[in-house]
Amino acid sequence: MTSHFALHRRHVLGGAAAAALTSPLAAGAQSKEPIKIGSALPLTGSQAGYGNDFATGTRMAVKDVNDAGGIAGRPVELVVLDTQADPQLGINALNRFIGVEKLPMFLTAWSAVVKAQAPIANREKVLELNCGANSPEIATLGDYVYTAFPLAEVDIVKLANYVFTTLGKKTVAVLYINNDTGIDAAKLYRDTFTAAGGKIVAFEAYDPKATEFTGMLLKARAANPEIVHLHGLTADTPQVIAQMRQLGMTQRVTSYSAAYNPKLLEQLGPAAEGLIVTSLAPGVNDNPNVAGFLERWKKEQGRVPNGLPYVQYEYDMVFLVKALYEYLDKKSQPATGESLIAALLAIKEFDLPMTGKMIIDGHRVNKPVYLLTVQKGVFVPLATLT
Amino acid sequence: MFEPIILLQILWTGIATSAPFVLLTVGFSLTLKVTGLWNFAQSGQMAIAFYTMFFAMNGLGLPLFAAVGLGVVMTAGSAVLIEIYGLQVFRDRQSGNLMFFIFTLILSEFVIYVITLLFGTEPETLYKSILSPVDIIGGIAVSEWDKTGIGLTILALGALYGFMRYTKEGQFLAAVADNAKLAELYGISAQRAYRVVAVISALFIVAAMYLIGSHGGIVPNSPLELVLSAVIGTLLGGIGRVFAAAWASIFLALIQSFSILFIGSRWQNLLLYGFLFATILLFPRGVRMPRLRLALIGR
Repeated sequence: MTSHFALHRRHVLGGAAAAALTSPLAAGAQSKEPIKIGSALPLTGSQAGYGNDFATGTRMAVKDVNDAGGIAGRPVELVVLDTQADPQLGINALNRFIGVEKLPMFLTAWSAVVKAQAPIANREKVLELNCGANSPEIATLGDYVYTAFPLAEVDIVKLANYVFTTLGKKTVAVLYINNDTGIDAAKLYRDTFTAAGGKIVAFEAYDPKATEFTGMLLKARAANPEIVHLHGLTADTPQVIAQMRQLGMTQRVTSYSAAYNPKLLEQLGPAAEGLIVTSLAPGVNDNPNVAGFLERWKKEQGRVPNGLPYVQYEYDMVFLVKALYEYLDKKSQPATGESLIAALLAIKEFDLPMTGKMIIDGHRVNKPVYLLTVQKGVFVPLATLT
Repeated sequence: MFEPIILLQILWTGIATSAPFVLLTVGFSLTLKVTGLWNFAQSGQMAIAFYTMFFAMNGLGLPLFAAVGLGVVMTAGSAVLIEIYGLQVFRDRQSGNLMFFIFTLILSEFVIYVITLLFGTEPETLYKSILSPVDIIGGIAVSEWDKTGIGLTILALGALYGFMRYTKEGQFLAAVADNAKLAELYGISAQRAYRVVAVISALFIVAAMYLIGSHGGIVPNSPLELVLSAVIGTLLGGIGRVFAAAWASIFLALIQSFSILFIGSRWQNLLLYGFLFATILLFPRGVRMPRLRLALIGR
């Protein structure tokens, strides 16, 4: 079964705001018991720049859904709890979702948090829906853990193959942050690149709290790679690239969606030229809804969002949840972890406003990968890998 | 990896990287020497120093010298206020060391929470760009930041040495450090000495935070990590030995930098804690080099 939720630009731009007050659907929705959507995100801490924007994206979608009449006539209420991207706080948030809010499902992100929450979600039979973390291990965390965000095996595998076959690079240095985000993805990159016929000449992890990377970079420089793959987070990635350039390393750098960040361009200036990043969501040229969304964001927030592709997923999650609840409503089934999973697998194919068609393939999702590169200080499309 | 050029690069970068840590350690160690306090409130002052400069440059658009000036006023002002309305009150009450420790720690946390509310938790840098121009000298990459860091540290340490050795105020500090009650019998005000040392430490903190904030991102919690490195340097150098603590900081940075030749990069930070652990257990009074006994050599 397919659900269609294609949004038009006018809709995204907030035309629905007026409807909130006038639409009989909306008025009816407000009088019924709300459907609560729980979202565990880092609202403070080093990842807050992304986490807060993710929450804003979700809030925008909740507003749009409510303005259009809610879900099956019921209003949607968003409950966002802070994790600081810390596993322990992620568990605390989940305990509140289950114990206090009595939610049958919740949205989450950041690999370490998703992994820490998994045993509890499985034990309590609550659907854990990842919408921003990409550790390949997420696909194996249990019966109640699903992802609506493509895992690293999607973009990292395609990127590693692209570097070898299209860019023709035969040697690469892989530098990665020593946490759940970096370790699994770096191994995946290494295995894919090696299987393609390339050679990993340096494979170095750095401490998540490190600020000085000279030693690691000298090791990489001594290995003389043709290209460098860097798998870090938003705080450390610019510093590693800056120090790399200062040590005279001129190699092109590839990274993933965390480096698709306007602040990075500001911090690195010309040192960012040639950087290749991945995006798992269509850009403004690929999907007209995205242009409208960006325009609305700039109008409301006065700037562009951090990690636009992630924000697109966060926005879409509300529409995915809407589809699940409407499916259950039609079948007159209560929303439980089991019934929501059954709905997810039965619907299987979702047409979402910001990220387009999404096919849930068991515990994985497959999506096209959009490569972007930095040219004259801006990200420009490089290739689309399907 | 063992080529001379790589070893020299590691040596140079290790020394340059140690610069802000040397400054923080000297400020911390000097405070400990004169006041006898492990002043963890300095991590709060580090946050005040950085965010004042950050706001002055990025919020108010002030030039660097004005931002640094404002940073000095705010940091030194807060240090003196803490001294007068916090530490001195506990001294008057004859409070135990634990009370001072708890007070300074809680004060730091409080300051950091306030700063988090004001500035958020995204990593911030003083300048929009974190790139520093680089010269290649004899095959070694030497950045402007490296030169600024090393130059500023030498200047600060030289000034402190001159102050302590050649000015009356500096000699008063030494006297209070040796025995505050005896110094007061000779008409030296211990309270004044405590305030002077608070201002000197604030100057060192501002210099260090300028260097750190122009090199990479800082979040409000960062100073809690930074003060730990100052504690390790102070312990390793020996309590009351300010310049030895500075050397200890350089030594620690070099050990961390050269360790990359033998261990993975991800283990480098762990070394710091290893040293802290070993120092507390084996050298609680710091590591003292054996003195040359010239008389014995003469025989």
